[in-house]
Amino acid sequence: MSRRLAAALRPAAAIGCALAAMAIALALLGASPLAVAADLADGAFGNWIAFTDTLARATPLVFCGLAVAVAFHGALWNIGADGQLVVGALAAGALGPALAGAPHTLAIVAIIGAGGLAGALWGGLAGWLRARRNVNEVISTIMLNFIAAQLLSWAVHGPLMEPSGAFPASRKIAAAARLHLYFAPTRLNLAMLFAVALAAVCELGLFRTVPGFELRALGRNRRASAFFGLPIARLTVGAMALSGALAGCGGAVQISAITHRLYETISPGWGYEAIAVALVARLSPLGVVPAALLFGALDNGSQAMQRADGVPAQLVYVVQALVIIVMLAFDAAAGGGWRELLEGGAPDRPDATAETCDA
Amino acid sequence: MLETRSISRRFGRTLALDRVDFQARPGEIHALIGENGAGKSTLVSIIAGRLAADSGQVLLDGAALRAGVSAAALRRARIAAVYQSPMLFERMTWEENLALGGFGAGASPRELDAVAARARQIAAASGFDLPPPRALVADCSVAERVRLEIVRALSFEPRVLILDEPTSLLAPAELKIFLDALGRLRAAGRIVVLVTHKLAEALAVADRITVMRRGRVVATMPAADTGEAELARLMIGALPGAPARPPRDPDPAAAPALALAGVTLVREGRRVLDEISLTVRPGEIVGLAGVDGNGQAELVEAIAGAVKLDSGGIAPAPGGASVAVIPQHRDRDGLVLEMTLWENLLLAAPLRARLAPRGFIASRAARRFCAGLLDRFAIRAAAGSACAAGALSGGNRQRLGVARALAGAPRVIVAHDICRGLDLGAAAQVRRGLAEFAAAGGAVLLISTDLDELLECCGRLLVIVRGRVREAPAADRDPERLGLLMAGAAA
Amino acid sequence: MLEAFAASTIAMATPLLLAALGELIVERAGVINIGIEGAMLAGAFAGVAVAHATGATLAGVAAAIGGGVAINAIFAFVAVNLAVNQVVAGTAIDLLAAGVTGMLYQRIYGATGRAFTVAPMRPIALGPLARLPLIGRALFDQSALVYLAFALVPAIAWTIGRSRFGLSLRAAGERPEAADALGLGVYRLRWIALLASGALSGLGGAYLTLAYADTFVEGISAGRGYVALAVVIVGRWNAWGVAAASLMFGAAIALQFVLQAAATAIPYQLFLALPYLLTVAVLALMGGQADAPSALGEPYIRA
Repeated sequence: MSRRLAAALRPAAAIGCALAAMAIALALLGASPLAVAADLADGAFGNWIAFTDTLARATPLVFCGLAVAVAFHGALWNIGADGQLVVGALAAGALGPALAGAPHTLAIVAIIGAGGLAGALWGGLAGWLRARRNVNEVISTIMLNFIAAQLLSWAVHGPLMEPSGAFPASRKIAAAARLHLYFAPTRLNLAMLFAVALAAVCELGLFRTVPGFELRALGRNRRASAFFGLPIARLTVGAMALSGALAGCGGAVQISAITHRLYETISPGWGYEAIAVALVARLSPLGVVPAALLFGALDNGSQAMQRADGVPAQLVYVVQALVIIVMLAFDAAAGGGWRELLEGGAPDRPDATAETCDA
Repeated sequence: MLETRSISRRFGRTLALDRVDFQARPGEIHALIGENGAGKSTLVSIIAGRLAADSGQVLLDGAALRAGVSAAALRRARIAAVYQSPMLFERMTWEENLALGGFGAGASPRELDAVAARARQIAAASGFDLPPPRALVADCSVAERVRLEIVRALSFEPRVLILDEPTSLLAPAELKIFLDALGRLRAAGRIVVLVTHKLAEALAVADRITVMRRGRVVATMPAADTGEAELARLMIGALPGAPARPPRDPDPAAAPALALAGVTLVREGRRVLDEISLTVRPGEIVGLAGVDGNGQAELVEAIAGAVKLDSGGIAPAPGGASVAVIPQHRDRDGLVLEMTLWENLLLAAPLRARLAPRGFIASRAARRFCAGLLDRFAIRAAAGSACAAGALSGGNRQRLGVARALAGAPRVIVAHDICRGLDLGAAAQVRRGLAEFAAAGGAVLLISTDLDELLECCGRLLVIVRGRVREAPAADRDPERLGLLMAGAAA
Repeated sequence: MLEAFAASTIAMATPLLLAALGELIVERAGVINIGIEGAMLAGAFAGVAVAHATGATLAGVAAAIGGGVAINAIFAFVAVNLAVNQVVAGTAIDLLAAGVTGMLYQRIYGATGRAFTVAPMRPIALGPLARLPLIGRALFDQSALVYLAFALVPAIAWTIGRSRFGLSLRAAGERPEAADALGLGVYRLRWIALLASGALSGLGGAYLTLAYADTFVEGISAGRGYVALAVVIVGRWNAWGVAAASLMFGAAIALQFVLQAAATAIPYQLFLALPYLLTVAVLALMGGQADAPSALGEPYIRA
């Protein structure tokens, strides 16, 4: 079997392993794995509404998955897509009500742009701290997640609270700023198309442009990048800002298309789930789309599963975790791929069996 | 007696060791020689238990040794090794480093004092000194580090002491003390295995010599019965390619292509580059000699623009397209092993400008361009330009680095240790590339620890000692005088 | 009021200190473990669940240690033996712990999360010392876990700085290939460090549920494990520094109770965000990872 084919099959095998482990766990918990799986599939794809719901749930995962993939290519461990999405949603929710009367297209551009900008600031801050103050981006992005959550909580309890003051939620955004639901009552909207287009742009940007190339080189060999004079600080800040912008757009789109207002629990942890998405996609932006669909289906199906079988919905966290771990383990066993991202170059072996970089 | 029986070991597609039988007797110094890549280091790593063999056995006095290291297993087997690159912990004191060896001590002040006392005894018996109390290894000189490693190895009271090219880091004066110490170890009935690629050294100190070539033992003989010519023939197998053309005299009136003035870099309070001024004119190859770790790496980083200077200036300004740098550690600093060959070309700014006009990579053009370079520089890559750099052999990686530097059409090339690890044929080819570049009016600064290489390739010679550079007088153009200058003797 | 502030500073610092001491050991061995948050969570849940089931606090503490160790054993296998990216593996471990504790909690105590409480660990007053003004209650009238946490500071400082084991540990964190060449056994050292850290993180979690909240809610660790990562950096990879940094962060968390009571005009979310804001600010001001172990975070593969 060719190496490339083996690499392509690894994500499927990883998911298979994770699901098998889950089946065993479910059996131990006293539920029938097959029945659970059937309910899960039914909840995700059982009918038109369920299917479109899966698409809607996958959309923010595409945005966050792209955010994670872009940052990881530069060996920037952005664990903060969640916070970046939250501030994006916050900016959209704050701007949205003010867009009444604006032309639809302009309002959409403004609301998504605001979300992207807020996310870019949030991510770019972590990038700046890394580049200029040598602050580990893992810790700063995690901290910024918590700060964003408190910021959102304050906003919906305080300045942005809806007029009646009964619920911790913001006012509805103006109708002009809402992405149309063309297939009501389903939640199908243009956001998924936008996300797919962004994935294509990211793919081109990473693999066909000079900054994308520089970012990938930086992620794989920081020392060589310094030697050849690549603009490391600029790449770090830029990649983190772009990463944040992608997640922030995701937050804004969620407000614009689905919720139309801010809630405290706007994100169920998409930023963390996105790590699993990006890894299953092997950091390929185009691969993020099917990977996000898979996890979106899992999320959507798990609710039906919870209703039908009484299996707690937290099960999906466990599946996500297992997928990440199995994915990492498979790549390690294959001895290559993107593991070297962190090592900064493989040791000097006479004939390192490195494969072409497909991660 | 130390013995290996039919040891084989494979790395990927390369057979590094092919059914190697090797024997060393008590009370002898046994030199293991061969070109880089002949399998010497792999063999001693397997003997020392650091690497597992695919097949075959290591026996000490008839008993088979098991691979895989634990402190206890090492002590039981009484095999100790000093490796090519010093295996010391930079940010610990030297006493702590030794305590981790056969002294079996902790790091309390009392224990460390005891370690120091015993270490000084061992060192005195071998005829050398140790650093002042509680000095950090980071502050120790290269020679001090080699001594520390030897003392640490001896602390295991080994029956077998393996020295894997420890002398490549030593200045000639240090070398003499070191070789004397080896004689004393032999007298104590130990088995000493000295790995080296320096024939003179092997002939001077060893009792017997084993020659390796391409993973096989080709001969074992008493040192008294052989000479440099025979050993070289055994090592290389075939004659190397034609030597590089001798350098021409540059036009003395030409403006320098590279000029450094008062370049100073301070790291952790030490002046690693100390007021360095030098010029390289078009058409000349200037050699910079020095023992490793005297500031060469930092100098290259400075010229590449990878570090910020504390004072001084470099013309042309670092980071521009007119200066190409070939770093010493090609895998660490020069290549991105996971990327394709054509992508690695893009690391160089001039090639990026050419192959990615307006910021978009013309990947088809880049592949074609890369394939052309592979052809021109005889770089063997199984999958052509789309193959990962990590899949190339060391020599091919080195040639890729040189090809990339030349392809950018720079005015200056700064090359650091570019022939280390290459076989003679490949090295000659790399040097010829530089000579042709200089003949066409390019300026080259060639940094190396290999005096023979510098004497062969270069016009003017400079010496770097502890971050200071000075010109070697023309009268000192022989290895011995240069060796003294490298060790810090006054000119 | 100052007395209360001092007491809650110590109370808030204790789980941080326990977790950070564990992380310190791990990082000195060259591993960065983001999964520490998960280990705390697992310890918190296991501790309260067993204490609730058996009625014995001590059994709960033991279970908490077991929970933290189990979580870290998974991490150790993946990060040490399989040599995968430590940051990403750690994040997965956090998700795993959040999922498993959440599932078990709902399974055992119902989907609504019916509140349940356990008998709290009693403070142990150290005789007349506890009656000292201002600091008496804070320092000498606390639960056993507090005394243990602070007693561990000199013990761990000595172990890392002076003992043979600590020396080996540092060697593994500075230059693993050299440590292995000396036969120190890098994998073994990193496993021991991670298991010890798991026990300490589990204890930190146990403190939250058994000594502080007396109950469990989902995600009770609330990012304390992540703050502990920052504590190790601010403490410059040194046990005494870690203790000082824990107290500083403990005081920042304790401040929210004081300020909340005093000034109602300031939104409470600001106080809740204070430890995280402080972490970012302190790291930004201090900058640098110059004192970090050289091989920190780099997967090591034995040749």
